[in-house]
Amino acid sequence: MLSRLVFIPASALKSSGSMGAGLVQASRCLHISPQNQAPVPPLPEKSGKVRHGIIPEEFFQFLYPKTGVTGPYVLGTGLLLYLLSKEIYVVNHETVAAASVGAVLIYAVKKFGPGIATFADKLNDEKAAKVQEVKDTAVNSLTQAIEAEKKEQWRVEGRQMLFDAKRNNVAMILETNYRERLHMVTNEVKKRLEYQVQLQNLHHRMEQEYMVDWVEKNVVKSITPQQEKESIAKCIADLKALAKTTQAKVSL
Amino acid sequence: MTLSFFDQFSLTTFMGIPLIALALTLPWILFPTPQNRCLNNRLSTLQAWFIRQFTHQLFLPINQGGHKWALLLASLLIFLITLNLLGMLPYTFTPTTQLSMNMGLAIPLWLATVLIGARYQPNHTLAHLLPVGTPGLLIPILIMIETISLFIRPIALGIRLTANLTAGHLLIQLISTAAFHLLFIMPSVSLLTTTLLLLLTILELAVAIIQAYVFVLLVSLYLQESV
Repeated sequence: MLSRLVFIPASALKSSGSMGAGLVQASRCLHISPQNQAPVPPLPEKSGKVRHGIIPEEFFQFLYPKTGVTGPYVLGTGLLLYLLSKEIYVVNHETVAAASVGAVLIYAVKKFGPGIATFADKLNDEKAAKVQEVKDTAVNSLTQAIEAEKKEQWRVEGRQMLFDAKRNNVAMILETNYRERLHMVTNEVKKRLEYQVQLQNLHHRMEQEYMVDWVEKNVVKSITPQQEKESIAKCIADLKALAKTTQAKVSL
Repeated sequence: MTLSFFDQFSLTTFMGIPLIALALTLPWILFPTPQNRCLNNRLSTLQAWFIRQFTHQLFLPINQGGHKWALLLASLLIFLITLNLLGMLPYTFTPTTQLSMNMGLAIPLWLATVLIGARYQPNHTLAHLLPVGTPGLLIPILIMIETISLFIRPIALGIRLTANLTAGHLLIQLISTAAFHLLFIMPSVSLLTTTLLLLLTILELAVAIIQAYVFVLLVSLYLQESV
């Protein structure tokens, strides 16, 4: 610990390139390895244990084998009584002043100590959390990049299916188109044929009507007046006979 | 030999070593050197945090040129606070009760700020001798007053620190003597005196810290004006 009390100018150190002017602890020239590259030894989790705030636990452990648990306390009491009784330590006004300062300091430490300890721990934790966050962000972004890349690869595989589907689509459209045109063609042809059929029917009908008209005309022409009289007389005789039979049916 | 109340402030030598040298240098081992690690132990963390906070706060109003003084003022603060607080312990010697030492700190620092101002911004420094908006008739008187106040600054700096600490120590001595001697005559009054002593101790601890801070703050103020 006291080696830190020895100073030399920084320019006297061989490896002090970046430091320039200033004072540096002399023990640095004894360091062999480059300090900034050596793995830093980790700090212990807890500080050294103390009893009653100032006396290290090692002292009690040191005296334990020979004097047991009460050893250090007996030593302390004896020492105190010795100093007081022999007036090596004189009780005067400074004792009162010491008592009051001691009381204030002990009260302050008891009251604010834990708060300050948690504050120091919080500062350290914030530092660690910041660095951890950088690392976590980097890991997260890399993981996301990996997943995106995998997804892209999967997409590439699926591209073939996409192309097949598109090809099928196009083929279907072509087929539909072809069938529609076929249908249209059939309809047109049918229309043409029907027209011809209708035309023939018309011809037929017209011929028939002309023939019937011609026959009727000729028949009417050929009926002489003599024949007309005879046919009328015959009709009247037939009618009379019919009337007689009908009357006979009715009266029955 | 009987001691007077002022003997606590006398300089002693022990085997040829003036003990004030030890009183000035030994407090330095209380502060750990900052290590090259990310996470330190609690003391190093708190120390680093405190110094960073203080320096940041102190140099907010000072422009870039004055930031060269950061190391000096921060270490001055730590030095003064340590000396003052260690002097609160019984039977310790407080170097800052010596006027010689405080003047030795105050005069060079103040003079440095004045000379820097006079060297780099002479017009601006001289302009400080006259506050803005003074009526015309008062100008000659005011310049004299401002000059006197300028030259009184180092004396005020040194004497402020000395007087506060000396007075505090003396008061503690007096009241603890009273409490001690009354303990055998009138214990109840002694109890009252002890209560007074407790309050005074709290005050003195605060004063120890505050006076150091005020010293550094005023130097930074003088720096702000001239840099």
